[in-house]
Amino acid sequence: MRPEELKEIREKAKARLGLRSGDVRVRIVVGMGTSGIAAGAREVLKALLEEVSRRNLTDVAVTQTGERGLAAKEPVVEVHEGDRITVYGEVDEALARRIVVEHVVNGHPIQDRIIEVREVVG
Amino acid sequence: MEDLSMHIADLLENSFRAGAKHVELRLSLLRGTLRLEVNDDGSGMDGDLLRKAADPFFTTKRHGKRIGLGLPLFLQTVEELGGTLEVSTRPGGGTRVRAEIPWHHPDRPPLGDLAETVVPIILTSPGVEFRIVLEGNGERIELDTERLKEELGISCLTPEAMGPLMRMVREAMDRVGLKEGA
Repeated sequence: MRPEELKEIREKAKARLGLRSGDVRVRIVVGMGTSGIAAGAREVLKALLEEVSRRNLTDVAVTQTGERGLAAKEPVVEVHEGDRITVYGEVDEALARRIVVEHVVNGHPIQDRIIEVREVVG
Repeated sequence: MEDLSMHIADLLENSFRAGAKHVELRLSLLRGTLRLEVNDDGSGMDGDLLRKAADPFFTTKRHGKRIGLGLPLFLQTVEELGGTLEVSTRPGGGTRVRAEIPWHHPDRPPLGDLAETVVPIILTSPGVEFRIVLEGNGERIELDTERLKEELGISCLTPEAMGPLMRMVREAMDRVGLKEGA
């Protein structure tokens, strides 16, 4: 790896960690089980990471998980905000970017692409 | 036809589901044979579970044992190419999946975009350290996330690292003769 690339990683990581205060506000979780990967979850995960990075969303974390039992709806993306989990199905790269912009940044869930909303109780 | 990087993603997922904290991916291209190996320190499997793990219709995910469909699919691909697949595991002792595939077999699936497959997984798996070892063309290149973070003085790799890490993996693959998409 070139020295300038190492420097880029270090500076951006430090800036992000320095800016972060308290807990993560939104966690975006991508189903990366076999059916999710086959349906394109890999591209979705990459698009989400790019969009979060490009917009410098320091209070947003992107993580992945395994099968969600929603194989027919893969790739599946969950947006966790406090006690509310919004589940999007059949997510492609374009929808992934819309989720970041419209839902996470502007606070407007994309109603026609939601397959489930769960409230975590207790 | 599923590219090999998709199989690798599947195997890495199995490691995560087994609770691994350290995952090593080794790819070496030596004397016309691609050796692909995934080692983890996850929960491992007992003999019975290992036998069942090769059954595409078997999963214990619901019961928390975390075996995936990825292994049978990979086994099928390896067998079609006349390669070998070896799984070493023991309960509580991690798992090693090692495959040898003839690189020049006409039906070999393309390698695919390994960088695009592996790097996003690395960046979205907090608490898991990765070591990628690439060998070929007389070179051996390692990427160790734990060591990289130590060297950089940072506690975690953030999404901004995606571009540089992908470039690094692609350059390394070129150097060892594993061309992207080949």
